[in-house]
Amino acid sequence: MPGKTDKPLILIIDDEEPLRDGCRQVLEKSGYEVLTAEHGAEGIKIAREHMPDVAFVDLKMPNMSGMEVMEILSKDIPDIILVMITGYASILSAVEAMQKGAYDYLPKPFSPDQLRAITKRALDHRALKIEAKKLKEEKEMMEKNFITFVSHEMRSPLVVVRQYFETLKEIASDKFDKDVKEIIERCNKRLQNLEEMVEHWLDISRIGDGTFLQKKEKVNLESIMKRAIEEMTPLCQKRGITIKTEISRNLPPLMGDEESLMRVFTNLIGNATKYTPEGGAIDISIQSDNYYNTVKVADSGCGIPQDKLPFICEPFFRVKGKNEKERGSGLGLAFCKKIMESHHGRIEILSKENEGTTCILTFPADINAKNNQK
Amino acid sequence: MAVKKKILLIDDDKDFLFATKLILEKGGYEVFMAEDGKSGVEKWKSINPDLAIIDMMMETWGEGFSVLNKIRATDTGKDTPLFMLSAVDLQGPYGSFEPPPEFPKINRVLHKPIKADELLRIIAQEIGDK
Repeated sequence: MPGKTDKPLILIIDDEEPLRDGCRQVLEKSGYEVLTAEHGAEGIKIAREHMPDVAFVDLKMPNMSGMEVMEILSKDIPDIILVMITGYASILSAVEAMQKGAYDYLPKPFSPDQLRAITKRALDHRALKIEAKKLKEEKEMMEKNFITFVSHEMRSPLVVVRQYFETLKEIASDKFDKDVKEIIERCNKRLQNLEEMVEHWLDISRIGDGTFLQKKEKVNLESIMKRAIEEMTPLCQKRGITIKTEISRNLPPLMGDEESLMRVFTNLIGNATKYTPEGGAIDISIQSDNYYNTVKVADSGCGIPQDKLPFICEPFFRVKGKNEKERGSGLGLAFCKKIMESHHGRIEILSKENEGTTCILTFPADINAKNNQK
Repeated sequence: MAVKKKILLIDDDKDFLFATKLILEKGGYEVFMAEDGKSGVEKWKSINPDLAIIDMMMETWGEGFSVLNKIRATDTGKDTPLFMLSAVDLQGPYGSFEPPPEFPKINRVLHKPIKADELLRIIAQEIGDK
């Protein structure tokens, strides 16, 4: 390919032949590869073909002006450094050239030394620019891969240890006495918690960086809630907890991601079952008005102390409850909050100690969806 | 004494191989192991197992699938039950992965960690004598 050697490639676009030749001689002697063009259109064509490192562009040429040429080159040729050559170096034209993406300008007449110096500076500038770009790309790549990396690297050892416990149970559990079995069971539980924590934490970071998969489509809160209740029913039955629902008719559809909303709902119901005493009830309601769709999940549990309420959605914040049998990941509500935010909604928690807690999800009504309703 | 059925495990995690091997041996199988896709395919050809369990995500994402393809392309691999193993959570960036329609048959997808009794039960379903 002509012009693509290891030598830096310089393009001179100027309508004066003596100037072009002079520049060529000086720059070739300094070890650069030089291409020349006598007008803008030719210069652009050569630049697109040969991708020069630096281009000197005469400001005043017939047909296409140097400004136009520079504008096109700075868009078309990645990392090109543009230097404007001008016969009447006015501050104004220099400023304009810089605005169009020129790195510097060279007033005519100039000496070979000046030309060499500015070329060297332009090439140094280019090297730095490319380096900075590469570093930035690397950093972005690392950030993007970090989550995937963590998800694999952090989960694998946990999974393996759990597999070992599973193996231990399978091959030797008849030799263990009750205490040993209990220790294994407890280790297993804690590991499982840790695994969940990693998972939830990953989810939250994915929402943060936009890699959490959310399909936004028309969804129906009622049917999502029904699915969520169905999923949580076995747990509730085990604890003798009943779920009462009050869902207003003709809920308008809204734009959302069914799966993540499903997780928000099961999360809230799960929390409610954790704190509701046996035989208690969870009240779920969904209402809508012109402005909002509101989902409420209320339990009759022990409630949350007022002073703890403001922090309840913070990651890893836990209210130390005496009757909390199962430890959660500490990230459930933080996840819900993020999901609600991604739906332009809100989560609000009201609570009174010894009376119960109500979680309120508010989704802004989708005006379009309402109009589209039959 | 009946000849033991042979199972090939392909996974780049030594510990996972070891743990799973012990479970399978307890279940009365003869177990072979490979730590990467290439030796996995070679072992497949030399020992002719009755079933293989392949990790989806070895060195690179998708390595397991190329192993699966290679095994299915062998004479003995056409109809042998093959299980894929995954520790990938379905919410992640691979959540949307779906094998293309003409993809070779996977008999089962198992999620790590696997319960010992469940693993033995589904293997028995595939290659049991009953």
